[in-house]
Amino acid sequence: MKALGRTILPYLIAIAVAFAAVGIFIAAMGFDVGRAYQTILLTSFRTPNGFIQTLLKFIPLTLQALAFTVPLTAGKFNIGGEGQMIVGGIAAAAVGITFSDLPPVLLLPMVILAGVLAGAFWGLIPAWLLYRFGLNEILTTVLLNFVSFAVIDLVATGPWRDTTAGHPTTIPIGQGGWLPMLINNPPLHSGIILAVLVASGIYIYTSRTTGGYELVATGANPRAAEVFGINVGRMFVFSLVLAGGLAGLAGSIEVAGVHRRLIEGMQSNFLVLGLIIGLIARGNNLAVPFVAFFIAVLEVGASAMQRTLMIPVEMVFIVEALVLLFVLLSDVVRRR
Amino acid sequence: MEKQPILELKNIRKTFDKLVALDDVSFSLLPGEIHGLLGGNGAGKTTLMNILYGLYRKDQGEIYLNGEKIEIHGPRDALNRGIGMVHQHFLQISNYTVLENIVLGSGITHRYTMKLEPEARKVEELCQRFGLPVDLDAVISTLPIGTRQKVEILKALYRGVKILILDEPTTNLTPQEVDALFESLRVMVNDGLSIVFITHKLREVLSVCDRITVLREGRNITTLDRKDASEDVFVRAMVGEQMNIEKSVYFARDTKTFGEVDTTAVPILRLNQVNLLSKEGVPRLKDVSFDIFPGEIFGIAGVAGNGQRELAEVAAGIVPPTSGKIEQNGKDVTGLPVAERLRRGLSYIPEDRLHDGFLPKASVAQNLILGVHRQPPYSDGRFINWKTVYQKTREQISEYNIKTGGPEEPGGNLSGGNIQRVMIARAFSMNADLLVAHNPTRGLDIPSMDFVYQKILQRKAQKQATLLISEDLDELMLLSDRIAVIYRGEILGILPREAFDKYAIGRLMSGIRSTEPATP
Repeated sequence: MKALGRTILPYLIAIAVAFAAVGIFIAAMGFDVGRAYQTILLTSFRTPNGFIQTLLKFIPLTLQALAFTVPLTAGKFNIGGEGQMIVGGIAAAAVGITFSDLPPVLLLPMVILAGVLAGAFWGLIPAWLLYRFGLNEILTTVLLNFVSFAVIDLVATGPWRDTTAGHPTTIPIGQGGWLPMLINNPPLHSGIILAVLVASGIYIYTSRTTGGYELVATGANPRAAEVFGINVGRMFVFSLVLAGGLAGLAGSIEVAGVHRRLIEGMQSNFLVLGLIIGLIARGNNLAVPFVAFFIAVLEVGASAMQRTLMIPVEMVFIVEALVLLFVLLSDVVRRR
Repeated sequence: MEKQPILELKNIRKTFDKLVALDDVSFSLLPGEIHGLLGGNGAGKTTLMNILYGLYRKDQGEIYLNGEKIEIHGPRDALNRGIGMVHQHFLQISNYTVLENIVLGSGITHRYTMKLEPEARKVEELCQRFGLPVDLDAVISTLPIGTRQKVEILKALYRGVKILILDEPTTNLTPQEVDALFESLRVMVNDGLSIVFITHKLREVLSVCDRITVLREGRNITTLDRKDASEDVFVRAMVGEQMNIEKSVYFARDTKTFGEVDTTAVPILRLNQVNLLSKEGVPRLKDVSFDIFPGEIFGIAGVAGNGQRELAEVAAGIVPPTSGKIEQNGKDVTGLPVAERLRRGLSYIPEDRLHDGFLPKASVAQNLILGVHRQPPYSDGRFINWKTVYQKTREQISEYNIKTGGPEEPGGNLSGGNIQRVMIARAFSMNADLLVAHNPTRGLDIPSMDFVYQKILQRKAQKQATLLISEDLDELMLLSDRIAVIYRGEILGILPREAFDKYAIGRLMSGIRSTEPATP
């Protein structure tokens, strides 16, 4: 209990200091700090709609953060979650549109799986370049994001384009590919169950299994891991492909659960928030869902704050960045 | 005749974070003496001398030079006051010549033409006077370690030091080179220098030093004249009261008798005509062949950098040989992945523990199962049984005396000696048929070294095989059934225990084959 307290205390301090710092700015801009923070922190909990909005944000954020922390466990940096999510979404939409007449028993698993596989493939490319040629995965994953922007543009403005929409968007996927709803009003789809299951699975895998141990050992010291019989190259590839699959799943859930079609820009800023979550969690896969929930609360609160108080959402982005900064800073302080 | 000390260190204290490295240590050096600073690893010998040389700043205490209190702010300051130090790992510019390395950093006569004749004459004169023959025009990188050490000593002498500190100077020398070094040291003190000789080897201080100061766990235990004290006094001072010297292997006197090895049995490890080329095509191992039988401890002697590391990695299957065959228990294992070799009964203590053996970001428990993490009882192949792991880890922490907060403490918090204990615990708890151990006692204090020796001898009793690669010749002669000497990747000779003779081994270590005349 005491140990837990000691781990959580720096976080609480970091959050408090970040809020205090941003509060000064908000006050200087002439807004009511108390009301602003009330809106940010309580919107998620005041109305059922707010809470469900938060859960809907929580799903892609958790998956994106895991797409970053899983390779990080093996010592690799996946900055390509955005591209992997887009490609996953494209594949999910493509399957959902092409086979739109199939019943849900067939179509839904196909849509979800297509997203996972496409994302995994998008992760396999940098993994293979790393394995075969030793190319730095940070570079290749980032660059593949840009490739995915071009691909989604092509698909959303191509033959599947919904000509009635003002924004590059495809026609809807078949009804059989929709994720079943848990609650209809306000709408909450069953993707939340998938996300929680996947996050638990990842935690169990990395902390309990032999393969997960090898992943951790590889991240801790690849040379020593290799000397003691771990196939390090394979661990790198595996972690990046798994990460791609996770981000791809986020893409197919967005398509099958939220939009029911492919929309250009649906990836939002989930990548950057995923990185922030992963770093605040210090790469700990157990902590990721909790941090992701916290960030989802802030995000939902931020939109509400902008709507009702006209305070720019960027303020909350600054809060998030500062929390990260202070958490990292607390590491330095503790080492002294 | 009472001499005034030329140098005095009084009540020195130094801490690194929470660790007290030196606690109230005093030390005095008389003019014209060789003063041995004796103690096991972690006793604080090097820390004390680094303070004197200005590399560390002391927390408390005073330094007196010729009766005058001084503060030393850095190595340059120390050199200006006539204090020089030769470190265990020297810093030399390897593509410069000997002469250039010696004069580097000191003023020279012809600054712009770099004509070094006046300096060369001066250095040559020093070489002659102190019996340190070195070719001044040779490029450093082409020289063996013994010669590079002479360069380092000349560098200090050239700067006119009055006090010379030598940190473990015999580590990489052959016995012949050790004798030559000791003779040079005698000449130096007769010439008016005073020398501090840091070592953990009792026999060396007894043979060369006038006075001896013993340090243990950061405290000075005693200072005695060589002629006033017996070996036993120093042994006790070095190891403290707890260690049972009678039962120890480290201080064993009767070393000739040893268990028989059955050489008709199937060898546990066989290397047959093993060759290894580096990436650039340079030969690292040449036609290496030997067998290690059940219950045998097979030693590899050699000056560091002659292919020991490559041999260890080939034998453990980390690097496949370029040609040749490796058999374990009669089965061909050449080119098998390490994981498979580990499964078939191999454990490995790498030389470079930090890079090749340790996971700083992982916990002590995670470190202890590295390599056996796929085997029962730690794992059923899919899941790790952490309950068993933690239980076994706690047992190992107490058995191997690893100083840590517990199984969950991050490995990065451990000290060097404790990291080595983790390596040892891991390797011995695997209970494998074959152990490849490369400098297994590096960084350990004497009781821990003795513990490792006991463990290695236990393996012998259990009919397991050990490949012991070590830079410590005493260690090899104490433990091995046979010793093979490696020189430039080649095994120059294999000596059975009856024929152990450190000068014979020393000749082979410097590349002289045994067919040549046997007298030095």
